[in-house]
Amino acid sequence: MTDSYDGPILEIDQLSISFFTRLREIPAVMDFSVKVMPGEAVGLVGESGCGKSTVALGVMQDLGKNGRIVDGSIKFKGRNLNEMSQEELRQIRGSEIAMIYQEPMASLNPAMKIGKQLMEVPMIHRGSSEKEAYDRALQVVTDVKLPDPKRILDSYPHQLSGGQQQRIVIAMALMAEPSLLILDEPTTALDVTVEAAVVELVKELGKKYGTSMLFISHNLGLVLETCDRICVMYSGEAVERGSIKDVFDEMQHPYTQALFRSIPLPGADKNAAPLRAIPGNFPLPHERPPGCNFGPRCDYFEAGRCDAQDIPMQPVPGNDRHATRCLKFQEIDWNAPLAKSDITEKPEPGRVVLKMDDLKKYYEVAANALFGKRGDTKVVKANETLSFEARESETLAIVGESGCGKSTFAKVLMGLETATEGQILLDNRNIESTAIEDRDTQTVADVQMVFQNPFDTLNPSMTVGRQIIRALEVFGIGNSDGERRKRMLQLLDLVKLPRAFADRMPRQLSGGQKQRVGIARAFAGNARIVVADEPVSALDVSVQAAVTDLLMEIQREQKTTLLFISHDLSIVRYLADRVMVMYLGHVVELGSTDQVFSPPYHPYTEALLSAVPIADTRVKKKHIVLEGDIPSAMNPPSGCPFQTRCRWKSQVPGGLCEKEVPPVRQLGDGHQVKCHLSDAELASMEPVIQIAAE
Amino acid sequence: MEPLSWFEIITRVLLQFMPVWISLIALFTLSIVYKRRLGLYGKLFDSTIGMIGFALVMFWVFTGIFGALDMIITHDPLSQLSGMKNKLPGTPLPRPDEGQYPYYLFGGDNLARDVFSRMVKGAWIVVQIAPLATLFAFMVGITLGLPAGYYGGRLDTLLSFFANLILAFPVILLFYLLVTPEIVETGIPSYMATVLFVFPLIFVGVLLNSRYKTQPKVRTPLLFAVLGILGWLYLSLISEAGSKVSVLPGFLDLFDIPAGILVVFVSVVFVNSPTVFRIVRGLAMDIKTRDYVAAAQTRGEGPWYIMLWEILPNARGPLIVDFCLRIGYTTILLGTLGFFGLGLSPESPDWGTTINDGRRLLQIYLHPAIVPAVALLSMVLGLNLLADGLREESLRD
Repeated sequence: MTDSYDGPILEIDQLSISFFTRLREIPAVMDFSVKVMPGEAVGLVGESGCGKSTVALGVMQDLGKNGRIVDGSIKFKGRNLNEMSQEELRQIRGSEIAMIYQEPMASLNPAMKIGKQLMEVPMIHRGSSEKEAYDRALQVVTDVKLPDPKRILDSYPHQLSGGQQQRIVIAMALMAEPSLLILDEPTTALDVTVEAAVVELVKELGKKYGTSMLFISHNLGLVLETCDRICVMYSGEAVERGSIKDVFDEMQHPYTQALFRSIPLPGADKNAAPLRAIPGNFPLPHERPPGCNFGPRCDYFEAGRCDAQDIPMQPVPGNDRHATRCLKFQEIDWNAPLAKSDITEKPEPGRVVLKMDDLKKYYEVAANALFGKRGDTKVVKANETLSFEARESETLAIVGESGCGKSTFAKVLMGLETATEGQILLDNRNIESTAIEDRDTQTVADVQMVFQNPFDTLNPSMTVGRQIIRALEVFGIGNSDGERRKRMLQLLDLVKLPRAFADRMPRQLSGGQKQRVGIARAFAGNARIVVADEPVSALDVSVQAAVTDLLMEIQREQKTTLLFISHDLSIVRYLADRVMVMYLGHVVELGSTDQVFSPPYHPYTEALLSAVPIADTRVKKKHIVLEGDIPSAMNPPSGCPFQTRCRWKSQVPGGLCEKEVPPVRQLGDGHQVKCHLSDAELASMEPVIQIAAE
Repeated sequence: MEPLSWFEIITRVLLQFMPVWISLIALFTLSIVYKRRLGLYGKLFDSTIGMIGFALVMFWVFTGIFGALDMIITHDPLSQLSGMKNKLPGTPLPRPDEGQYPYYLFGGDNLARDVFSRMVKGAWIVVQIAPLATLFAFMVGITLGLPAGYYGGRLDTLLSFFANLILAFPVILLFYLLVTPEIVETGIPSYMATVLFVFPLIFVGVLLNSRYKTQPKVRTPLLFAVLGILGWLYLSLISEAGSKVSVLPGFLDLFDIPAGILVVFVSVVFVNSPTVFRIVRGLAMDIKTRDYVAAAQTRGEGPWYIMLWEILPNARGPLIVDFCLRIGYTTILLGTLGFFGLGLSPESPDWGTTINDGRRLLQIYLHPAIVPAVALLSMVLGLNLLADGLREESLRD
């Protein structure tokens, strides 16, 4: 083997990849260079469509029949991968270069036991005996910290949770001790606390095995935590390359700067320092502007200079291997403070609009639909004693991971399900047991929803305008088609979309634009309460900022109550007035944003805060990694729902956590926590996130 | 006169089809010129397979239409000319009258009728019945499949059970039962027609009602007008003097369908609709989990609006493809019915009946059976290719 080789593991030099369609050649990656040294982790960051996954596929030489490498070289341990035969490539893939994909379930063969799938790797690549392969599999599964490795090896993929599956995928990649590991958004499909644990594991294993890593992600915070070096991509080109410290603290490209300004950082407040969205849209691959690709969206754009010629990568003097694709990087004052946009007044929350009182929602699930006897049913407690108030023009964030009951709560509020017990008061009227078909038009129009997936929120076979007009018709607004059409155009203005979009089909819109239409539709009946179910989590960061700002602007104008469901604590901190943290159907903590984000915390909130990756090198974070996965709501733990993963459990005497559900404790000023910890212990908690003094 | 050589036969046949060629060329030229503006239909002209399929289908459609206008045929399909019994293709008439076409281009059958003209006339029967019967089957399948998929639960179990029941019954046996005179006398086929043909009415009614529910001023007159016309057509269709279902007085009855055709129609719809039901049900179950369906629910739309305006349009891709394939099955089914002599009159020129007629002397004279068989084959092949092309192009979007 080439163990004596000590040059760069991966050296990509001026790589260009194009896809060929019937109509034209579409360049996906242009003039891309990166070097990965042994043991180094390089992060590849960019928005969707910027070509980062294409680079990964290019390294694997797996571009499909339409894709082709048109220029440049990819050298792995000094050998050019472009010139290798299929036979040689097969030997390298899986044994020397391994890849981890985004969707763990799609990477595992559902019809094959985990053990068999893992054992295949050494048996194919090294000709190991079955016994050796099994031992190796057992060792690797232990390495990725899965409980009860023998049982895991003997189970099928569907019997494991998402987090466990991703660990198996990582284990599989490590089976052959590859020199290079390519991770393509490995944690995007996972919950934050699980993500934190997986990231921790990848880091640790990288050190242990000395593997080089190419880490592809859209999340700057994650890259900061995992990588040594970073390469920022925009529209098929690398725009900035350098060590984490150089790029994060001394960025030298306007796009990198814009990207950082569009993500909420701790301490940022929506009224004092609003996010800055990047103006304009991502150029389509065949409509790239001449010269600098970022030119049309750049604040520092200089006509005649930036769009005159192709722009080469230039080294930044003084820094180690730091390069930028900007002509003006030495002229721009990178530390100039952001031009102050008009500071908006924080609106005062008005009267109480919505009140939940001890709301419960249980589902009965028959153990076996066909032959189940009566009484064989299981009760799933999706929501357990939910109580809170929401005021006019207030933003209440509901935070929690999958399965915590956020969506069930939204369904009950909307009337798609009726509550099992308790009350929902809308303007002092009970609506908890009125299903949507029995609600009057005004109530329906008052409570509306913005959905998560922009590609699913609009009916694909109806024009944008027609969909908004339909909502107006249903809510009884406008007396004629003409009036409704006028109102629809006003709504498009409200969400800052051009009026011409009225006649477009949803497939002609980008994700952010679709989400805006979804917002316009929700506000069609002058909604007073809007439930936003992760409205920006599926969007690119630069678009997230714009959509978030839009939501808040409309909220300020219309005095809407916004129930913002999210798992992203950075954005919650940025925009919420009050935060409600949910875990397995229980509200574990409720309070104003400042109260929730500073100690004393509920132990779950503490872990959640620590799990959020933050893209700021100044932030010091306490490291809390939760063991295991979220328990299933079908089979919740006894006592406190969080006790199985809680690190404070030993502080409570007498095993109280396992026996009793903790009571709701008031900590003053409306801050409430559901925990058995004593006041003294709660007071002893330290803040999770601290910004180091400059 | 000398019999025609094969070359002469082909030339004369091609010449005889001249109106069809002209129409086909016109249709293709127009479609290709404007293909970018024609949506999915236009995209069909990007796929060679799809174009071949479409050309085959349209060939038979035009043949059927022009045949019905007595344009392509050379002789009356029912008249027998003495001396032409079982004559080979290209045989001249022994004593041609003034203006009479002097040859039997594809020969004569065992009753001395012109095989070529019968084939052309047979196309009209297929073109008339197959798409319409398939359309009715789709109406039934959609109207029942959407609620089954959308609501699920007991309704779904019940409807699916009946669908399985029909699917499990041997098709040919069912046809035999339906056309048996004793059964026809009891009125069962007529009652079945009454039930099955009401579904398009329900479908259109619900479709319009859910769409215009919020604007009663538009809805009420629209529904009255549309349902009035459709209802009249429906009653004319099912009511027939002397049969069990005779609800309309004769002067209001717009048209009468021959009893045989009606039975064929009913059987085809009855057998096809459970399959359509299952497809629609599956699609509805998939699409109802989408966010835009949830969005419609949260703004308080009624279930039928959601089913017909939010779910159905987004299921159209697979349904259009299945529609093409199903016309093909229906064509074969019509052939089968004719072959067994079910429903259609014995001298009817439809392809199934002619194949059955020709079958008896197949060992000596091939042509009376082979001509309609090839016609049937090419039409069904065309429909299958068209479906393939449509599927390919709709996936590309």
